[in-house]
Amino acid sequence: MRVTALVILNSAASSSSSPEAADPVVLANATDVSRFGYFQRFAAREFILFVARTVANRTPAGQRQSVQHEEYKVHSYNRHDLCALAFMDDHYPVRSAFALLNQILDEYQKAFGESWRGVKVDATQPWPYLTEALTKFQDPAEVDKLFKIQRDLDETKIILHKTIENLLDRGVKLDDLVEKSSDLSAASQMFYKQAKKTNQCCTML
Amino acid sequence: MSTRAGQASYRDRTQEFLKVVENCKKSSSTVDGPSSSTAPYLEGPKSAASIQSEFSRRASQIGLGIHQTSQKLSKLAKLAKRTSVFDDPTIEIQELTSVIKKDITALNSAVVDLQLLCSLQNESGNLSRDTTNHSTTVVDNLKNRLMSTTKEFKEVLTMRTENLKVHESRRQLFSSSASKEAANPFLRQRPLVSKGSNESSAPPAPWENGSTSSSPLFPRRKSNGDPSSTQPLIPQQQQQQQQQEMVPLQDSYMQSRAEALQSVESTIHELSNIFTQLATMVSQQGELAIRIDENMDDTLANVEGAQGQLLKYLNSISSNRWLMIKIFFVLMFFLMIFLFFVA
Repeated sequence: MRVTALVILNSAASSSSSPEAADPVVLANATDVSRFGYFQRFAAREFILFVARTVANRTPAGQRQSVQHEEYKVHSYNRHDLCALAFMDDHYPVRSAFALLNQILDEYQKAFGESWRGVKVDATQPWPYLTEALTKFQDPAEVDKLFKIQRDLDETKIILHKTIENLLDRGVKLDDLVEKSSDLSAASQMFYKQAKKTNQCCTML
Repeated sequence: MSTRAGQASYRDRTQEFLKVVENCKKSSSTVDGPSSSTAPYLEGPKSAASIQSEFSRRASQIGLGIHQTSQKLSKLAKLAKRTSVFDDPTIEIQELTSVIKKDITALNSAVVDLQLLCSLQNESGNLSRDTTNHSTTVVDNLKNRLMSTTKEFKEVLTMRTENLKVHESRRQLFSSSASKEAANPFLRQRPLVSKGSNESSAPPAPWENGSTSSSPLFPRRKSNGDPSSTQPLIPQQQQQQQQQEMVPLQDSYMQSRAEALQSVESTIHELSNIFTQLATMVSQQGELAIRIDENMDDTLANVEGAQGQLLKYLNSISSNRWLMIKIFFVLMFFLMIFLFFVA
């Protein structure tokens, strides 16, 4: 379950105007291309940006979209022309992906307010939050609380199942002990009776 | 005059009759003016006769109308039965349906008028009991026939809607993309069309009780909605397709969140079940532990008692003087016997 890239774009220009108008403008970008070889990294980054622009172009305002592209799933969320995209593999749960996009958009708006609307050229400086988000949110549990809760609950359920098995074993052992202790008490009673009999019966030898 | 013809086996009242006819002619020629006291009386039977003829004329008209309507209805039934998926004579069926509906409403109003006339006639004129019976019977008969015709109409409409449903489902089987649009426009079109057909389908049969009148309204409205909604459906399909691709995605996101929440809730329920089971089992096993404890206490008591007895025995064995004396006596006894026998 990997997140390969997170991209934020401004897709204001692309929605209703003529098709040859500006493509969505990249505002922030974080990519993890460590899987590719050294010489392919640049190409991979360009490829990711291109696909991001295309998908953001086609996502209408206020909508979420998931597109399958080769082995990546691209999830995009367009909220008031600020579009966030995430490139991830098929195993990443879709819901967590959109929760992640929501969070990124909130952070971006908190950090930059509305200044991004005027940006017409691709932003070049990396945004540190995005890069650390990329590393932090490789695991969907971090971003999606529901996922984390579900996972914890499942673990708890497993632990409880084991506990119940142990309890059943304990029950079996206790049954065993009950049997043995009742046998022991019967034997001791016989012993006492015998002792009483030898003491009382023949005082005369 | 009756006395004169008393000897004959019959009574010849021709003269009376001729006089009455003359009087009637006179009274019918005098339209206005204060007529004599006999005139209203004579006008009574004359107007009764005219009312009666009026009544029977109207009744015959209504009967003819009902007959024609039922013929049209049988034609409609045949059309509705033979309809197939592609060769749907929708227009004809619609036309025929509207025509029959108009006929039925007209006949209905005519029968109501006839009933009014009949009641008016019954309370105004001093007619014989037979005439009143006859007129009420005729009115009831017409009412019944109209009711049965309306019921048949209703059945034909329900059959038509069922056929349409079957066609829809068959269409859905073969074209999966049309499934989503079929559901929504169906629901979307119905309130629009029902408003239009509301007025025409309002008075189908006022004398029918409320339950049966609501059901002819509903399939009628639905059947009017179906044929008209299938035609504007197609140009709207493309518009709605895009919207509905987006809408299911949004919905699926929300739905997946809702599902996740529900699964969390169910997991928590299961956990609570497991915990209660755990508590039950632990309490049961606590009981077992108590039993074991009691058994061990019993054993301890028994063993201690036995030990005490043995100690007592030991004491009695080891320190009993009388026992020693008894042993000496026994030895002496044996010695004596031994010495006795040997010596």
